[in-house]
Amino acid sequence: MTRAWVANGLSRDLPAGVVMHGAWHGQDLAIWRSASGQIAAWKDRCQHRGMRLSHGFVRGETLSCIYHGWVYGTSGACGRIPAHPGLVPPSAIRAEAFACCEKDGVIWVAPAGTEGDVPDLAGLHPVRSLTVEAAGIEAPGLTGMEILQGSVMIAGQTVALGLVLQSLAAGRTAVHALCGGGGDVVAVSRWLEDLRRRLERGVAA
Amino acid sequence: MISQAVLGEWYPVAMAALVDAAGRRTLLLGQEIRVFRDAGRIRVTADAGDLAVTERFGHVWACPGTPARALFTIPEADHPGRRLVDCGVVRVKCSPLRAVENFLDIAHFPFVHTDILGAEPHTEVNRYDVKIREEVDEVWATKVHFYQPQAAKSAEGGIVTEYMYRVPAPTASVLYKTCPAMPGEWDVIAIFVQPLTEELCDVWPWMALYDDVTPQAELIAFQQMIFLQDRSILENQIPRLLPLDPGMESPTQADLTSVAYRRWLKRRGLTYGAQMVAA
Repeated sequence: MTRAWVANGLSRDLPAGVVMHGAWHGQDLAIWRSASGQIAAWKDRCQHRGMRLSHGFVRGETLSCIYHGWVYGTSGACGRIPAHPGLVPPSAIRAEAFACCEKDGVIWVAPAGTEGDVPDLAGLHPVRSLTVEAAGIEAPGLTGMEILQGSVMIAGQTVALGLVLQSLAAGRTAVHALCGGGGDVVAVSRWLEDLRRRLERGVAA
Repeated sequence: MISQAVLGEWYPVAMAALVDAAGRRTLLLGQEIRVFRDAGRIRVTADAGDLAVTERFGHVWACPGTPARALFTIPEADHPGRRLVDCGVVRVKCSPLRAVENFLDIAHFPFVHTDILGAEPHTEVNRYDVKIREEVDEVWATKVHFYQPQAAKSAEGGIVTEYMYRVPAPTASVLYKTCPAMPGEWDVIAIFVQPLTEELCDVWPWMALYDDVTPQAELIAFQQMIFLQDRSILENQIPRLLPLDPGMESPTQADLTSVAYRRWLKRRGLTYGAQMVAA
C-alpha cells in the first residue's frame, strides 16, 4: 500500500521566503513557505514551459517561476504573467497543489484531498535531517517501518528517538530525526552520523 | 527508428578550426561518428561509411542521410567589416529542440539574464510578427522589441533593442539584433545545435558582429555567461523532450515564435527530441 503522507523535512529547515525541492513517491514537488509563514507543496513544474518551480523565488505570499517570472499565489492560481502585465491569467493556469501540513516540527505531504491520519510524534522534538546512501535504515532498539521509534542509550543517557524515513531516488533515504525532551541534541546528532557511517559501510548497525 | 526527414537535415558536428588528423569522436542522433582531417579535407565517418559534409560559418556540418536541400545561408557571414566569432561549445542535458526554443524566447531575459539582457520592471513583450516563410521554409519573427540594460558587450547603458529571429533548420537559429556600435545595422548571433541524442546536445554559439574594439576573449566570455545562465533552465525543464502535444504546456502571445517553431517541426516530421503524446 502506498502511504499517503510522506515526510519531506523539518519545519525549521524551511524558513519564510524559501522554496525547496521535495518528492511524493517519485513525484517531484516544490515546497515553499511564504513571508507570513504559510506552507504549500506543488507539483514541481510550471505549466508554461515545464520549468521546475523549486528553482523559483518567493516574494511575499507568492512563488514565481525562475524562467519567465510567472507569479503563483498560495492557492496555486497564477496571478500574474510579467510578459503581459495587463492580462488577468486564465483560471486554468495554476500549479497542481498537494496537501501539505506540519506536525511536531515535521513537514508532511500527500495528494490533494487526503484527510487526517498524519503520523503522530507527540512528545518528540526535531533534531536534524540527514541523507543516507542506503535504501533501508535499521538501528538496534528502534522498531517500525516508515517511522522507527524506541529508546537508545546515547552518551550514557537513555533517549527517546523517532526517525522518520523518506525514500529518495537511487537507493538513498532521508532521515528526519526527533528526540524526547531532555535529550542532548548534539549527542543525538553525533549518534546519527555514526549510524549513517555504519549503514553506508553496509555493516548492520 | 529515425525518420528520413530528420536524417536528411544538416547538423553541426565540430568547429572547423579545431579539427585535426586525430579528430573528434562524438555522437550524432545517437550514432557514434568521427570528425577528422584527412589530407587537408574534413571527413565525418560512421560505421556505415562517410557522411555528406560541408564547411560553413566556422563549423563542420554533416548530414546522416541524403541531404534534402543545401545547408541554409547566412548572407551576413560574407559581409566585409563583420567580425566572425566562434564561441566554443556548451554541452546541455536537454533536447536539442528545447535549446533552440529557448534561444527564440525573449520573455525570460529579465529573470534568467537579469540586469544584462533584461530587468524588472521592463518585462512586457509586445505583439510582434511571426510567420513561416513558405518560399524558404523557415520560421521568422520580426519587429520584436525589448528593453535591455546591457544588450551587448559594446553597449553602454540600457536601450530598447529590436530583434529578428530565424529558424532555418530544426537545430539551428539565427537572430538579428540592433547593433549598438553601428546604428542601422544588425548584429548576427546564431546557435548551431548538435543533437547528440534526443536528450543531450552540444550548443555552438557563433556571431557575426560589427565590433572592432572588444577583445575576442571578452566577446566569447559574454556569450558563454549568457549561455550558462540558459543551461540552468534547460537542464531543469520537465520533460527533457520538447512537448508537441498542445495540451502539455501553456503558451501566451509572447511565445508566438515558439508556437510557430513547434508547428513547423510537427508539419515537417522533425520530431527527433520531441515528445508527441503526453507521457
